[in-house]
Amino acid sequence: MWNHAVVTGVVALVLLTPAGAGFAYEVVEVRHGGAVAGHVSFAGVPPSPRQFTVHKGTEVCGTERALKKVDVRDGMVRGAVIALEGVERGKPFAAHRDREHAGRGRGAFHYAGGDELNLNVHLDTCSFGPFTGVVTADDAVQFANHDAIRHTLHTYTLQQNTAMLKTVHTRILGADSRTEQVFPGTRLRHAQAVVLTCDRHDFMENWLYLARNPYYAVSDAAGHFRIDGIPPGDYRLVAWHPVLGMRETPVTVAPHGSLAVDFAFAD
Amino acid sequence: MVTTMRYTFTRTMVTGLLVFGLLGGQGANAALLDGLMDGVEETLAERLADRNERLTTGNFYTDARPNAHGPIGMMGDHTHEAGEVMFSYRLMHMWMQGTRLGTNSLTNAEAINLAPMNTGLPPNAPAPLGFGYLAQPESMRMIMHMFGFMYGLNDTVTLMAMVPYTHLNMNHFTRDGRKFITKSEGIGDIRFGSLWRLWAVEAPSIGAHRFHANFAFSVPTGDIEPRDTIPVPEQLNQPGNILDVRLPYPMHLGSGTFDFYPGITYGGEMGRASWGFQTIGTLRAGKNTNDFSKGDAYVVNIHGAYELIQRRLSGSVRFSWNHWEAYNGRDPRIGHPVNAVNQNFPRILPAPVQTGRPELLGGQRLDIFGGVNLLLPEFMGFETRLAVEGGVPIYQYLDGQLETDSIVTFGWQAVY
Repeated sequence: MWNHAVVTGVVALVLLTPAGAGFAYEVVEVRHGGAVAGHVSFAGVPPSPRQFTVHKGTEVCGTERALKKVDVRDGMVRGAVIALEGVERGKPFAAHRDREHAGRGRGAFHYAGGDELNLNVHLDTCSFGPFTGVVTADDAVQFANHDAIRHTLHTYTLQQNTAMLKTVHTRILGADSRTEQVFPGTRLRHAQAVVLTCDRHDFMENWLYLARNPYYAVSDAAGHFRIDGIPPGDYRLVAWHPVLGMRETPVTVAPHGSLAVDFAFAD
Repeated sequence: MVTTMRYTFTRTMVTGLLVFGLLGGQGANAALLDGLMDGVEETLAERLADRNERLTTGNFYTDARPNAHGPIGMMGDHTHEAGEVMFSYRLMHMWMQGTRLGTNSLTNAEAINLAPMNTGLPPNAPAPLGFGYLAQPESMRMIMHMFGFMYGLNDTVTLMAMVPYTHLNMNHFTRDGRKFITKSEGIGDIRFGSLWRLWAVEAPSIGAHRFHANFAFSVPTGDIEPRDTIPVPEQLNQPGNILDVRLPYPMHLGSGTFDFYPGITYGGEMGRASWGFQTIGTLRAGKNTNDFSKGDAYVVNIHGAYELIQRRLSGSVRFSWNHWEAYNGRDPRIGHPVNAVNQNFPRILPAPVQTGRPELLGGQRLDIFGGVNLLLPEFMGFETRLAVEGGVPIYQYLDGQLETDSIVTFGWQAVY
């Protein structure tokens, strides 16, 4: 009887412990919000796109594909993720759509927004979407395969302090099928980013920064970013790119203030 | 007592693993040892970081390469992604000829003159003139069709099922110079199993290393009472000179018991090379309805393969060590066909044939195999392989039974 009670208690404790401990974010009304804006630049010669010969599903993917990991135009970086770390409450997640503009793939990330990020990955023409994006812990990510061929979704976490990729999911995505996958907070506790790959197509590779709040932006073709509606306070502003690395700087956001911060990467 | 304990333990393990796999595996880590190997992984990752490399863990996916699967003679060598299925067919041919006692091959004359049981002589001692076996097997051919199915249940568990259909032919000669053949044919013991992903790490400079556990069981669907006719021994004046008998143990199509197959498999690959190790045990649960059980057994496989033509053809070499124990108990209707027909016949009559002596059915053997895997272009989403592997023993130790000469396996596998 006593043993039974102890076991039940332990099981209940395990089951009821919040899976995403450390990722709590609360949506509240933001008054007197400030903004941070700037540019991300790159000096030097960016790596060339990697070329791949396609072996499977060539009727959809084509026979040759390229993966452009670093997108630099006129010294400005497109696709760097800029995130404000340390914001525990504030505006809701915004709804928006990011689609790969260059190359053959038509994949897209659609963020439905609200209290959660609500990421939808529209896999199209053997592409998940843009090379970079964001994801949040415990978000039920929807994957929709719009291709008439099979893909094998394989996701990893990139650990913060070690150069290590740890598998989170592997799932067969049949032709024109959908699946929902959660990235549990317990497995993202030491993660910096999530990687999406297709085991059948090695040119399909996307990196999602692990956002703790809605205060993030992805730099555009001119290297420009802007984050607004920030509750006044002291934070850490991070610029992250899976190939170029990370830059960070402390920032103080004043009520109705507008802060200009630029990040620079080099080869 | 020991058998009962082993059966209870095995049953508990099976139940626990199935419950864990079906209910818990979905939400748990992809590989069972994830989390337990953090220290090793971090150490490895730090060393690799010095070489500007990343360590990847938990990746069991094998790219479309011919040697992503082991040699076709091995089973349960690879796992599947969640939702992935594989259909397979294997055609196995085994040829056995001549009797071996210990490590020595015997002539037919020597073999038929070994002392049968019930003579009071030590096992396998030369019998007094005229008191050896009544008949002697010369050779045996086994042809097995094996139909297989594998399914990736989740990130941890791959389920598998195998249905064998076997043809057995044994050629004999009698003491008085006649020859005859006995045959049995039918479905064997159907095997159900699961493969459990344990741990996987990889990096460019260290290659990929994957471990999984094998756990399977078979149900006794194979016939352990096959019958055929044999020429009547001269001592028995049987009308028609033909006797319909229950065939001895090597002609059985199954074990008659629930059998369990625990094991562990390691596979590695780097560049165009791959290699692996597998050990699988066979544990018999109790005795069958005819009051005997086959002996426990284990097999150890070590193989290496190389991709000869990229994404198309690979060659492999495999060493396979097999050890199997002698039977426990005996079927009272085997080995005494004379007594089975005529209960009044003196029971001291020698056993008519060596294959009717279950205490001699243990042995061990080391085989060497060479094989090729051919990966066909993907068609309709199916990744198809054709493979063949052939081998010969380089060492065998038997207690006076037919020795193995060659084993050839042809296989077809389609993954979707």
